[in-house]
Amino acid sequence: MSRIGVFVCHCGENISRTVDVEKVAAEAGRLFGVAYTCDYKYMCSDPGQNLLKKAVAEHKLEGIVVAACSPRMHEKTFRNAAKAAGVNPFLCEMANIREHCSWVHEDRDEATAKAIDIVTMMVERVKRNKKLQPITVPVTKKALIIGGGIAGIQSALDIADSGHQVVLVEREPSIGGHMAQLSETFPTLDCSQCIMTPKMVDVVNHPNITLHTYAEIEAVEGYIGNFQVKVRKKARSVDMAKCTGCGVCMAKCPQKKIPNSFDKNLGFRPAIYVPFPQAVPNTPVIDRENCTWFKTGKCGVCQKVCGPGAVDYTQEDEIVVEQVGAVVVATGFQLYDIGPKPAGSAIEGYGEFGYGTIPDVIDGLTFERLASASGPTGGKIVRPSDGAEPKSVVFVQCVGSRAREKGISYCSKICCMYTAKHTMLYKHKVHDGQAYVFFMDARTPGKGYDEFWRRSIEEEEAVYIRGMVSRLYQKGDKVVVMGSDVHIGVQVEIEADLVVLATAVQPREGADTLAQKLGISYDKYHFYSEAHAKLRPVECATAGIYLAGACQGPKDIPDTVSQASAAAAKVMTLFARNELEREPIVAKVNERFCVGCLACRKVCPYGAVEEKEIRDRSGNLIKVVAYVNPGVCGGCGTCQATCPSKSVELDGYTDEQIMAMIEAL
Amino acid sequence: MTPAKNILNYSYYPGCSLHASAKEYDESTRGLFKALKIGLHEVPDWLCCGATPAHNVDELLSLSLCAKNLELSNQVDGDLAVACAACFSRLKVTQHRLAENEEKRHQVAYALDAPLALDKPVKHLLEILATDFGLDRLAAAVQKPLSGLKVACYYGCLLTRPPDVPELDDCEDPSIMERVIGATGAETVSWSHRMECCGANFTLSRPGVVLKLSGEILASAKRGGADCIMVACPLCHGNLDIRQKEIEEASGRHYGMPVFYMTQLLALAAGVSTSKLGFGSMMVSPVSLLKEKGLL
Repeated sequence: MSRIGVFVCHCGENISRTVDVEKVAAEAGRLFGVAYTCDYKYMCSDPGQNLLKKAVAEHKLEGIVVAACSPRMHEKTFRNAAKAAGVNPFLCEMANIREHCSWVHEDRDEATAKAIDIVTMMVERVKRNKKLQPITVPVTKKALIIGGGIAGIQSALDIADSGHQVVLVEREPSIGGHMAQLSETFPTLDCSQCIMTPKMVDVVNHPNITLHTYAEIEAVEGYIGNFQVKVRKKARSVDMAKCTGCGVCMAKCPQKKIPNSFDKNLGFRPAIYVPFPQAVPNTPVIDRENCTWFKTGKCGVCQKVCGPGAVDYTQEDEIVVEQVGAVVVATGFQLYDIGPKPAGSAIEGYGEFGYGTIPDVIDGLTFERLASASGPTGGKIVRPSDGAEPKSVVFVQCVGSRAREKGISYCSKICCMYTAKHTMLYKHKVHDGQAYVFFMDARTPGKGYDEFWRRSIEEEEAVYIRGMVSRLYQKGDKVVVMGSDVHIGVQVEIEADLVVLATAVQPREGADTLAQKLGISYDKYHFYSEAHAKLRPVECATAGIYLAGACQGPKDIPDTVSQASAAAAKVMTLFARNELEREPIVAKVNERFCVGCLACRKVCPYGAVEEKEIRDRSGNLIKVVAYVNPGVCGGCGTCQATCPSKSVELDGYTDEQIMAMIEAL
Repeated sequence: MTPAKNILNYSYYPGCSLHASAKEYDESTRGLFKALKIGLHEVPDWLCCGATPAHNVDELLSLSLCAKNLELSNQVDGDLAVACAACFSRLKVTQHRLAENEEKRHQVAYALDAPLALDKPVKHLLEILATDFGLDRLAAAVQKPLSGLKVACYYGCLLTRPPDVPELDDCEDPSIMERVIGATGAETVSWSHRMECCGANFTLSRPGVVLKLSGEILASAKRGGADCIMVACPLCHGNLDIRQKEIEEASGRHYGMPVFYMTQLLALAAGVSTSKLGFGSMMVSPVSLLKEKGLL
């Protein structure tokens, strides 16, 4: 005979609007084994939790059902309250009558009937719950950071400064990310390189940071506190220990005409190269696709000229395995490729803008390289077509952003500000030039941001035209911009020397594949999803994995740095403990019935199933059975569904419990 | 391609213009389909699609006219082939709007006093030629290659817009006309104004607007190096062809740019007799151009 308490929550009006909560409580009171019921406006609040604790004491409750929101939201809250009241927390369950009921139904009577059903099922389940004890697991106090842009660098430095070990993995040959490509930064116009490169040096010199550049994540296994990560270090063809970074190999390489992607293909680099002079590490890589040695087996100039003998053509990809306790994902963004629509893409192209066919139509990042002192033109703003100084430049905002008809409905957040910055940089370098900006809205929330934007109009004389651009075309050596000015209701045509498109911010190519390796979720655009949009903005729903920077959504530098430090703080909180408590919802094998077919091992996604030999006292083998390692088991229940002899069950989700829940309907 | 696909058969909605000012579009369409051995059977008793005026003054009228036409089209087998860009747009828009709005469906059914039958696939000639018939077969059917003829393909406003409706091609950067005429060996030019408005119905109420907008289209085609313009819309044709002399007078520029319906050029390439292509009813005569290119 059990004594169960049912606590029905109104969730403000979220539940009570569609569900008659008083009726649910009254009906629950009639169920066999229910000793107490009540309803309350906010069960998760302090008075609500006290209600629960008091009821446990007064009515000697042995099990608790909280009919409220999803267990993902507040299961932990109420289990803690149960624990405080002296009830084993695993005898407390949530009946989800919000997400599964009130939010998705309109008819009050039907919703109430369904809520009663849900509560009835959970009562049957709690009756059969066992008292479970949490499993403790050790924490590996070492963090993995994926991505070496400003987000990854900031997280890495913060965690390393707190005394913990950090492994930083970067796909490109150098860390620095997009911020290293920028010229000057809003809203203060300080030089990006000047604030970025010292941080890059700090990373490489930090005793607690292990840096893997030109490397990618191959596979991730394990769980919070105990991840095993395989990192593929791509063959650099240069021995990092021997190379002094003198640069003779780059100077002597006969292949000099390879477009430099760091400069948005405006400049050239050799086949053995560092992406930019301030690269960290300052060790070149050989681009094997373009290297004459790798293509024809002839040349070998770089090896001949290398004093320390660091060039090694035989180097192969290397797999490094790292044990870490936490992961910060900071893979950043890329700009929307604005050519014609790619085949099979859900996102329409912008063929009508002629990007890729009209040389003087460029994107914002290309303009950054033109304006950068370390860029291909040394900071002189010229047109790509003929190298002339453009006297009129048209900037177009929201290319791909906020464009539902093209497939992207979100705002890219940074373009209003960087376009305002571009107009200033342009005016500072071409005094007699005129900048025009086509914009939908100027979105400038941020400290000093609106003042900055006003300055571009009032002091730097940029002409802002509210309206969209429909088409760009080449006419002689000009690019004609056809657009509209919605303020005065006319069509506008501007003949420009250069057109700069503020294209949408998208997650990095391959963001979805990485998410699948990590087991984290992402939205339809492949931005990674945080656990809660407001209250857990840097954590993933997957424990132990944190987010920093534009991989989670478009972000500027100050926001990125804030989020990166927040992610680092979360990692430090985790590392402050020596052991973690894990939910004991794990599979257990009934060794009496297990026949050792190990079908469970084939389906286990966590690799938690092992073979176990059962021997008699004299050591003779009786049989082989399956054994589930509770430290590794993720509690998914796949083995339970697979087992032909029904000998493996998940605690809290036994067949008996599930059948009882179904029968209760 | 499966053998069954080789026998193509369509119901045909010509629309008012093709029985009047755009007779040559109708004639050349029939000629082309006959030459390509594609069946084309006119829907009996079809009505006006309502064109621009109907949907400007009364949406229910506009939807009902097209819904009636779709119902009538079921008398004839085969997907519904449409030549006129405006008719195509109205029929497609009607299917789209009624599919997404139950209330409007009820209103239209009430207005027609009959259950709705909207499911007949509506296809523009371009889609039939490019997809159903296929560009390879089209190229194989060419008897008189148009090589050397530089064609500016003009889409106008309605063929591909609004973005979610016609599903013919990329809304702002299409290539279907270029691909279709390219199959005849003609050279297509790259030009700026192929998607701009010609001025449309303003040709009657404010011709000055048309002279300006259509003038820019002609200037752009000339700049692109075109010998002629190819259209799929009777109204665009009227503005670019009939108004061309006035445009020349107003702008002081000479264009002499023949404006063909797409089927006139395609039928010419497919070997249809020139007497059946209605070249005589074009205001800007194409004769000297076609002679120069050895096509007449």
